[in-house]
Amino acid sequence: MLGYVGKRLLQSVVTLLVIITIVFLLLRLLPEEGYLGAAADKMSPEQQEIYLTNLGLRDPILVQLGNFYTDLIRGDLGKSITYRTDVPVVDIIADKIMYSLSFGLAAVALSILIGVPLGILMAQMKGRWLDRLGTGYIVFIVAVPSMVYFLLIQVYITDIFKLPLLFDSDKPISWLLPLISLALGPIASYAMWMRRYMVDELNKDYIKLARAKGVKERTLMFSHVMRNAFIPLAQYLPATILFTITGSIYIESLYSIPGMGGLLVDAIQRQDNAVVQGLVLIFSSLGIIGLFLGDIAMALVDPRIKLGRGGSVR
Amino acid sequence: MGETQKKTKILSIENLVIKFKLRGQVLTAIRDISLDLYKGESLAIVGESGSGKSVLVKSIMGLLDKNGYIDQGKILYNDNDLAHFSTEKDWLKIRGKEIAMVTQDPMTSLNPLKTIGKQIEEAVVLHQGLTGKDAYEKVLQLLRDVGIHDVEKRYKQYPHEFSGGMRQRIVIAIAIACNPKVLICDEPTTALDVTIQAQILQLLKNLQEKYLLTTIYITHDLGVVAKVADRIAVMYAGDIIEYGKTDEIFFNAKHPYTWALISSLPQLGVKGQELYSIKGTPPNLFKEIQGDAFAPRNPYALKIDFVERPPYFKLSETHFAKTWLLHPNAPTVEPPETLKKFFEEGREYANG
Repeated sequence: MLGYVGKRLLQSVVTLLVIITIVFLLLRLLPEEGYLGAAADKMSPEQQEIYLTNLGLRDPILVQLGNFYTDLIRGDLGKSITYRTDVPVVDIIADKIMYSLSFGLAAVALSILIGVPLGILMAQMKGRWLDRLGTGYIVFIVAVPSMVYFLLIQVYITDIFKLPLLFDSDKPISWLLPLISLALGPIASYAMWMRRYMVDELNKDYIKLARAKGVKERTLMFSHVMRNAFIPLAQYLPATILFTITGSIYIESLYSIPGMGGLLVDAIQRQDNAVVQGLVLIFSSLGIIGLFLGDIAMALVDPRIKLGRGGSVR
Repeated sequence: MGETQKKTKILSIENLVIKFKLRGQVLTAIRDISLDLYKGESLAIVGESGSGKSVLVKSIMGLLDKNGYIDQGKILYNDNDLAHFSTEKDWLKIRGKEIAMVTQDPMTSLNPLKTIGKQIEEAVVLHQGLTGKDAYEKVLQLLRDVGIHDVEKRYKQYPHEFSGGMRQRIVIAIAIACNPKVLICDEPTTALDVTIQAQILQLLKNLQEKYLLTTIYITHDLGVVAKVADRIAVMYAGDIIEYGKTDEIFFNAKHPYTWALISSLPQLGVKGQELYSIKGTPPNLFKEIQGDAFAPRNPYALKIDFVERPPYFKLSETHFAKTWLLHPNAPTVEPPETLKKFFEEGREYANG
């Protein structure tokens, strides 16, 4: 097990380094005006040259890369240029991340708490009214663009229940609607996958044998079917949780939540290279950590995954 | 089973009719079957795919698919009529406890995420009232009984660490762990290769003696039947068309379908000639069957075969066949030459 974790960890680190390097190199291809910010027009070409040299942009590319890595290890992602001039990128992101993270985690918790049991119930009552109702819900969520029902919720539900229209960090009640909106999609996908995997498992031969040996239907569900159906989900869970940090652009702009959702868009529009670089770094690391944790989770719950020599074979 | 042994019925099926609802149509899978199972014997039910063998035994354990139901008849076991069981509570008194099953495909019959020890233990805990250390010891003993070595280590292993034959041994251990009186083996060797088949059959035979089991074998492999069965029931299109003791069926079969089935044995093939096969297809079970279901494929069919369903004709105390050919007024029909020779040789062999 340890060997497997170590191997996957090493792979992840290498992938991460490659991605960081690519992001770094790509950003060097962008126009240099981005680094000058709003002051660009006021500087003479000589002043611009001096400014860029001071930033280290005239050093050979390998030296720049070296500097970038050294800063990174110290947790320094540079300073914002145009977004909030001279504020460290780390601070900007830290301010926002808390909002997105708390919304995201609450939404994931909510969607697992509702989506997974819903899927289980649907599988058990396959073909009956609850299953049809749930399927209807899933189809609705998948088929209708989320913007539509997000807006409907914001406009009508706030009106009917007299809830605040916008987010206000001092009013806990104003957290409710964005949270629910955020959870609607994941509830549908958890329910859909859980139902699907449960139905798959229920049709397997070992269920027949377990029934034939006299296992109660309820025990069968809990100790055989559910656990086995949960395995495919285990792989994706860590990634889903991690990605809640990135926030939702729709929801955050609809309810004016000062989260991460809109930050990348803002930073790109304002050509704030430092912030973009920091964000891309965070997003890609999250993706890789998510995959890594997913593989570990999978290896923990599924004994068929061979560990160590020979790699992972199912 | 010796002739002298007193026969007691353990399970009795009376006039059973099982139907399935399928896409708005009704399919009759079992058409008025009666069958007795005697304590300690081993009965083989043979027939081609779709003849209703599996449906019949599934109904005994209440494991019919949701769209299947018992339309008529009784399944009597210990004064209980299983045909009228409907709740899970009722069936839990039977499943495992009284009647256990060895399923067909060992590769998929075990839960891939539970150690085989735990899977056997589940049955031990449910049916033998043992827990903790006692249950563990019992599982180890069962593993030894089914011929697994290094049991402490094997207990902790998962199904994917076992070969097909080994897994079938585990499935058998699970069935035995229930401590049943009747053991149903649904094509226990179909998924195994030939060398392993013989071992598994021998194992089942030994266990039957050791645990005083009554066994039902479901199979379409007559070779299996010859090795293990005391009695044979031949099924065709949801009906038992002939039944009798193993040598009665093998060496004195009377129903043309049984003839055809035995003629299909590759051992009876003649070198250089094509192997025998039964022409045509089984009847459509969605439709009501007129007369003898085998008549359209039967070269010896009489006119009456297409009109009226034959009753059982008694050949001996134990041997019955459903064919009009046995009626006193019917013309005498001999089985094909190769088969006749096989019957004669067999009888000579059986008589010493």
